[in-house]
Formats: sequence, structure tokens, C-alpha cells
Amino acid sequence: MRYARRAVAVLALTVLATTTACSVEKAGDGNGGTDAAAECGSGKEFLIGMSQANNAEPYRQVMNDDVSNAAKDVPGFKVVVSDAAQDNSKQVADVENFISQGINLLIISPNEAKPLTAVVKKAYDQGIPVIVLDRKVEGDAYTAFIGGDNVAIGKAAGEYYAKTLLPQGGKVVEISGLPGSTPAAERAQGFREGVASNPQIQIVASQTAEWLREKGQSVMDAMLKANPDINAVYAHNDPMAEGAYLAAKAAGKESTIKFTGIDALPVPSGGIKAVEQGRLQATFQYPTGGREAIDMAKKILVDCQKDVPKTTTLGTTQITKDNAAQVYTQLGGKQ
Amino acid sequence: MTPPNPTAVEEAPAGTPPPRRRPSLRLPRDRHALVDNFFRFQSLFGLVAVFLIAIAVSPVRNGENIFLSSGNLANIVRAVSEIGIIAVGMTFVILIGGIDLSVGAVLGLAAVGSATLMVDSGMGILPTVLIVLLIGTAFGATQGAIVARIGIQSFIVTLAGLQAARGIARMWSGGLGVPIAYGDGPKEAPEAFSLLSGSINGVLPVPAVLFIAIGIGALLVLRSTAFARHVYAIGGNEKAARLSGVPVRRVRITVFAISGLLAALAGIIHAGQLNQGSPNDGSGYELDAIAAVVIGGTSLAGGSGSMGGTIAGALLLGILNNILALNNIDANVQLVVKGLVIVAAAALQKLRPRIS
Repeated sequence: MRYARRAVAVLALTVLATTTACSVEKAGDGNGGTDAAAECGSGKEFLIGMSQANNAEPYRQVMNDDVSNAAKDVPGFKVVVSDAAQDNSKQVADVENFISQGINLLIISPNEAKPLTAVVKKAYDQGIPVIVLDRKVEGDAYTAFIGGDNVAIGKAAGEYYAKTLLPQGGKVVEISGLPGSTPAAERAQGFREGVASNPQIQIVASQTAEWLREKGQSVMDAMLKANPDINAVYAHNDPMAEGAYLAAKAAGKESTIKFTGIDALPVPSGGIKAVEQGRLQATFQYPTGGREAIDMAKKILVDCQKDVPKTTTLGTTQITKDNAAQVYTQLGGKQ
Repeated sequence: MTPPNPTAVEEAPAGTPPPRRRPSLRLPRDRHALVDNFFRFQSLFGLVAVFLIAIAVSPVRNGENIFLSSGNLANIVRAVSEIGIIAVGMTFVILIGGIDLSVGAVLGLAAVGSATLMVDSGMGILPTVLIVLLIGTAFGATQGAIVARIGIQSFIVTLAGLQAARGIARMWSGGLGVPIAYGDGPKEAPEAFSLLSGSINGVLPVPAVLFIAIGIGALLVLRSTAFARHVYAIGGNEKAARLSGVPVRRVRITVFAISGLLAALAGIIHAGQLNQGSPNDGSGYELDAIAAVVIGGTSLAGGSGSMGGTIAGALLLGILNNILALNNIDANVQLVVKGLVIVAAAALQKLRPRIS
């Protein structure tokens, strides 16, 4: 019977695969786990796994580039990058593959906290140092967390409005990120703290554009109709600020309204270039932490440092026309 | 692995033809039989070939082949288990000449359902699982009924179903992932649910066991039941099937219900593995499942294909993903390689000798 034959063949293969797995598991028990924690020291080769949540986001691509570029300057460091394409399951498998490969250190920018906590703990428990970037995991089974502070960034933007951009006061509209997302809430909160010192500044409207440039444009269209005398637009990221600029330009108001963004990615389509080219007045860097992660990896693997800070909060850089070109080069942006 | 012996196949009794493509065709003995068998077991050969290649190209650490190393094979089967279970259901649908694009969204809906019912509604595991499976089955059956009764193409119906399931999942969860914490207290799920992320004897992951069990079950169903003959008959020639008394509508609805049921099961496993039910999870899984079915040699035109092929196809995709990752192939290159493999598998089907 052909069907029987086929069924048997598939079964046989499955059994073969699983028995191989079984026997290998037993054989590996003796040294499993111990070789993961390679001894530190200089002059050695180290394999670093970088598990990225989603390469399709420019911010995360820049993070990967920062990690790879910084690692080039450390002799012996080799970085491999995996892309989970926004899929939690895929990121779990990516980390497991890294563990199989015997990486010496894991850098992970988790897609979501809860689903990745277990696999990060698995790596950490096997003695692999784990540096978590940007988004956290739950518990404390990791070596270090490095991330930006969105409240501080929002506050820096607010203070810039209060002192430099609108010292005489004025009407400001806010274009916010995805409702319910932490960065959007924190950037809104920080901004209000920052502008509080100048009571002449009024936030006359706040609308969401869900981080998207095209929505920034349509939201700005509507807000211009409702508030024709806007003085400035505070957008929670650069693409939305650019979208708002386009809407104002279509209404012939781009020169009377001031625009600011957040993120300041050193890429040709990013906020730093928009400031340099005069579309945005200012933007505030949301650091990727990529370079800092490699610095920390060097301390752990090469310098044998035992105690690295559990949490590192990165500051922001204010970018205006004065320093845009310089910061762009400094952050390694492509010309 | 010994390739199937062509002579033995020739000796198979010619009476009661098995319910498969061109059952009455008999190639002349000798090399034609060999060629025919190669194509018939194409995905199995492909799986063995990819398996052997993976062993050969796997990086070696401390004298140990990483691909074959402790737990890596288990990781592979675990990683493909959700797609594999969905692909089993998808095979039935494709065999009748249909398609089910809603499975990824149904997986997300089922994951949200599992998390919400246990954490927010405080239900036990059994009622939760039963309700979620029922939701998936009902969702699939509804789609099947619309296809069968109104006669809209399944592509359209399940495309609409995809949107609807995603929307329901987002409404149910409030748009955010529902985390699953374990324990006996309120807002906690029963500890036993976390078994889905565990493994038997620390070796064989539970999701992998479920996938293999369901795969073998479906293989047996497709091999020897009247239902299976009806499925092949509808896919081969619907009109002829109807005229010869096949209950076409009922079979259609059943097939989509099976697909919905298995997608919901995959969603429960998904929630158990990730300790979370997220409404956005599973997006694009339908395409991976279709890829597994196509690599398995099942024709999108319906009427020809096999469950063994699909299982082999899913495992092949898993091994491919794994070995590309172990060799640190760039993520973008991996996508291209997977695309090429799918096209190659489909092209092989076209090369298969046609006899008339």
C-alpha cells in the first residue's frame, strides 16, 4: 500500500529525528552549559548574538548598525544579527539558535517583554551575559539594561520650547505617538513638565498620528483648520513632524510655524537631516544604546569586569541647525 | 532512511485504488516507476536532502555538530509545530481546491481567548481550551458555510475572515497583549497551562509532540476514510463528485471547520509558549503554512497532494530556517532563500511527467 509506505517513511524519519535528539541530549549533558560562559580576557575571539525585534523599523536598523560598527573597533568581537520581524515566536527561536551556536554574549532588543522573558532567562542561567536594549524583559534574569528616558527627552523638548523656541509664549499643538504605548505617554508627560516654567505657552490641541508620517500630515491638516494661528508643532517623533510640515506647506504656513521632532536618527531620511535642511527647528536624540552595549560587552568579556550597572539610562542630545551636521557625522550617519 | 522501493510499490494490489491523483494510471515498470516515485515522494526526498545538507554545513563547536547538538533538533520541531499544525488543516482546504487565509488571525484570536478566559475570567484549563477550540471551529465552519452556500470564493471569504478575526481579537484584548501569570490567585492562570512550553523528559517539546500526533492522525484520516475520498473527489472535479453523490457542501464546511479548529489549537499552544495572548500574533502564519503545503507537493488547484508531504514540508522549512540562522546568513538573504525553495518545490511538481 502506497499510503502505508509513505506513513511509515514519515514516521521513521520522525523517530529518527527524535531519537537522534534524545541520544545527543544525553551525550551533551556532561559539558552542556559550561562552555557557554567562556572565560574573559584580551586576545580572544568572542561571538556576540544581537537579537533584533524588527529590522523594518529605521530606529532598530540604526541600533543594529551602531552595534556592528562599535564591535568593529574591538579586536576579537564578531557580531551576528537576527531579525524577528516583529514576531515573538521567531525571536524566541532566534535566541535559542544563538544559544545552540554557543554565543559568548547576548544583546537583545525584545519585541515584547512577557514572551521573551523565559528565553532570556534560559540564556542568562546558562552563564551567557545578557544586555537588554530599549525595551525591558520581566524579572531580573539579565545582566544589564540600557535604554533611553522618554520623560527626560520630553522634558528637554519642553524646556527648549519654554526658553528658546517660544520665550514670549504661543500656541502649541502636540502630535502624539500610538495611544497606549509607553513612549507616547512619557513624551507627552515630560513635555508638560518642561513647558510648565513658561505659562505663556498653551497646548491648544493634541492628536495622535500613531508614529506615522502620513498620519502626521492628515492630522495637521485638520488641526490647521481648527487652529489657524498655531505657533509650533511638538511631534513625538520626526516622521510625524515631517508630515505636519508637509501639511503646513500645502497651506502656505510652513514659514510661520515651528516644528520639532524626537528620535534624531542619523540616516538621510531622519530628523537630523530635516533640521540641517531647515524643515524642523530641533529634534531630540532617542539613543539606540548600540554603542553603549558594545562598550559594556567589552568590559564584561575583555576587561573581565564583574560588576556592570544593572540599569543604564541614556541622556539625550538636543539637535538644532548649529550642531546638526556635526552630530550627524558623530553618530556615524551615511552622507 | 531507505528510499521507498519502487518494485514493492508495483506489487501493491491493483484493486481498490487509493484515493489519490490519477489512481488508474499505471506507468510501465522499470525506470518510469522510479521517476514517478521520485516525484511522488519529492518532499520526503527534499526533507532528507536538506537534513543531510544541514548536517554537512552545520558549524562545529568543540567537535560537536551544532545542528545535531543537544536540543537543537527539538528546537526545530518546536519552532515549526504551530505552523505545522495550521498546515495540516490547510492541506484539507487546499485539497478541495480552496485556501484559508484566516488561520494566522484565528491563531491570534485563540491566543487572546486563552489568556483572557484564564486570567480575566478565572476559568480552568479544560473549559478554556474547549471554548477556544469551539470558537475556532465555529469560525472556520462559518467561513465554510459562506463558501459552500453562497458560493463566494474561499480566498475572498477567508480574507474577510482574517480581518474579522483580527478585529475581534483586538476588541477582546483591548488592543494590547494579555500577559499570563501562573498561580492559584485571582488574575492567574493554572500552573498546568505552562506545560505547553515544557518538554517531555526535558527532551521532546510538548508542542512538537502535539504536532506529530495531529500530523499522524490527519495522515491516517486522509489515507483510509470516506471523508478523505470525498475531499480528493471534490478537489479533482467538483461536478463529477456532486453527480456521484458526494455531499459537497457538508464536506466543504467540515474542511474549513477542521482548519479553524487546528488554527485555534495552534493559538492555544502559542499562548502557552509565550505566556501571553497578543491580538497581533500570528500575522503572516497563513503564508508559512501555505508554503509548507506547497513544498509538500500539494497542488493549489486541489485534488492532489498528501498529508505526509505537508508534514515533511513544514519540517523542511524549519530545518532551513534553523541551518540558515546557525550559519549566520543575513536575515534578508534568508527570505530570498526561502522564496527560492518554494518556487523550486512548485517547479518540481511541474516537471513531473504527465501521461495521457
